[in-house]
Amino acid sequence: MKEILKRNNVKVFGNGTQPMLFAHGFGCDQNMWRFVTPAFADDYRIVLFDYVGSGKSDLSAYDERRYATLNGYAQDVLDVCHALNLSDVIFVGHSVSSMIGVLAAIREPSLFAQLIMVGPSPRYINDAPYLGGFERRDIDELLDTMDKNYIGWANYLAPAIMKNADRPELAAELTESFCSTDPVIARRFAEATFFADNRSDLAKIDIPSLVLQCSDDIIAPTNVGEFVHQHLRGSEFHQLKATGHCPHMSHPEETIDAISQYLSRAASRHNRPVAGARGQKELRAE
Amino acid sequence: MLGLLDRAPCGFLTFAEDGTVLTANITLLEILELSRDAVLGQPFEKLLTISSRIFYQTHLLPLLKLQPAVEELFLTLRRGSGDDVAMLTNVAKREEADAPVYDCVFMQLRERRKWEDEIVRARRTAEEANRANSALLSMMSHDVRTPIGSISGYCDLLLMGIRGELSAEQRGDVERMKKASEYVLSLIDDILSFTRLRAGEVAKFDMKTIDVESVLAQTEALIGLRIEQAGLSYQRERCTSDIKVVADPDRLQQVLLNLLTNAVKFTPKGGRVTVSCDVEGERTLINVTDTGRGIPADQVERIFEPFVQVPGSAVAAGMQRGFGLGLAISRNLARKMDGELSVTSKLGEGSTFSVSLRSAESG
Repeated sequence: MKEILKRNNVKVFGNGTQPMLFAHGFGCDQNMWRFVTPAFADDYRIVLFDYVGSGKSDLSAYDERRYATLNGYAQDVLDVCHALNLSDVIFVGHSVSSMIGVLAAIREPSLFAQLIMVGPSPRYINDAPYLGGFERRDIDELLDTMDKNYIGWANYLAPAIMKNADRPELAAELTESFCSTDPVIARRFAEATFFADNRSDLAKIDIPSLVLQCSDDIIAPTNVGEFVHQHLRGSEFHQLKATGHCPHMSHPEETIDAISQYLSRAASRHNRPVAGARGQKELRAE
Repeated sequence: MLGLLDRAPCGFLTFAEDGTVLTANITLLEILELSRDAVLGQPFEKLLTISSRIFYQTHLLPLLKLQPAVEELFLTLRRGSGDDVAMLTNVAKREEADAPVYDCVFMQLRERRKWEDEIVRARRTAEEANRANSALLSMMSHDVRTPIGSISGYCDLLLMGIRGELSAEQRGDVERMKKASEYVLSLIDDILSFTRLRAGEVAKFDMKTIDVESVLAQTEALIGLRIEQAGLSYQRERCTSDIKVVADPDRLQQVLLNLLTNAVKFTPKGGRVTVSCDVEGERTLINVTDTGRGIPADQVERIFEPFVQVPGSAVAAGMQRGFGLGLAISRNLARKMDGELSVTSKLGEGSTFSVSLRSAESG
């Protein structure tokens, strides 16, 4: 158990009992969730983690074969659930983690109570008549852009740390190297993400779910979010005003509202005590 | 108007927290072949190629939410004509009264891009070579090593008389088959060890205080017969049980076995092999000295390189040449134990290989 918690840099906090497991997307790590998790900490047990190869996970645990497809990442989710003996899990996945959550739920549906998907896409590349938003050459160019950016990866983060020498609290945070990862692993994660096709997996789960759709999201356009909603039995679709692909970072309050309201509706359907509203009020009062 | 900044020798642009472009200098507008009206008020994202938009959404924006600046970004912008233009970009967050804004500086990449393309191509080639190497290792481990292990095992069965008694001639043949298969196995093990060491794949070293004498005793038990068969004399000097070093006992044994095997291989019949120990403060030296033909001065350092053997070096009877990996492996192992492996040699008189390790407190 300890090995998994260390391997995936698992962090657990909060006063509730029902676990909310937050899974980050491609390009960053669990720090992505820092603007929304405080709102749920009073009522839920918050579980954060980094996929192997991301953030502060144990890079030596990276296995090229295991993580060649999203199934390897789904196994990380299941490993974390088992290590903490979680059940009745509310899984919150951003971007590619939405499909990673679906794959985990297919394997062990009994672990999950809800799937909340922020900007999901089951396939990024167009496959007429399906429109994922990208052509294959766009993804090849993305891989090229990533390669170029990782040439200067050390400079990517270091100057920001140095510039804040007079603000030690910020400097201390930055030493955590947000989103830093091994360039080769990052590239492979990009390949596993953008070349995946999980459209047929959507019909394999029967777990209540929420699709949170951003406005003007180039990575997961609205038609793609609607496709996910149409193929996921028992899903709800919520259109956010938030633009871009990371509403939990750019518009955390709207994201918190949408998740809280969904969980309230789900709780009332199952006669559970309504959770989440208190944290929401506290965040707004700040 | 941006004053001096308008004609600065770099592109400059500011966008709001929601991504809307607030300002752009003339230099950037000219590079992009766009009018100011076509840029101001538009989302910054729209100036990027599709691949850079993905990177902007998945990397740049999250980073800017978590830290005040990002430097040396490679982004590709799109000109009004539809052409792409590669830019080196710095972005810094500036706190304004109501919300932060983001200042971006762009340097156009021309010649530099070609070099970067070259670096990326070279890295990809290296990655592919690495994958091929892994595949070869896997093949060596499973497809070659395993069947040779079987050949060796079946030789043992035949020699035990499981399939009936062997004639003296047959026994000789099977023993030669057995010896040949063991030789191939040792070559494969050398290659696997060397490749794994080089790739940093060796499991953690179990570093602890050990007494040199006990490791030597175990090593001598493995090599003693070969020394005897080669017609050499062997002696140990100054290696008392109070000499202790910090090392992984198995790895140290592997190093000493390699050195002694080499000494046996390259020392003519009637020669002498000596192991001695010298404590020199914080370091302890374990020396393996032979009376072989020695190593030419210009070859002394080369012998630690992989696949290198001294040309024309004599091989003792019954010993076969290897791949020349033993010393490369041994030096690598010594260094990973915070030690060193070095050699002094005199042509015609012999060589001394010395393993230097951290001394542990004796007692």
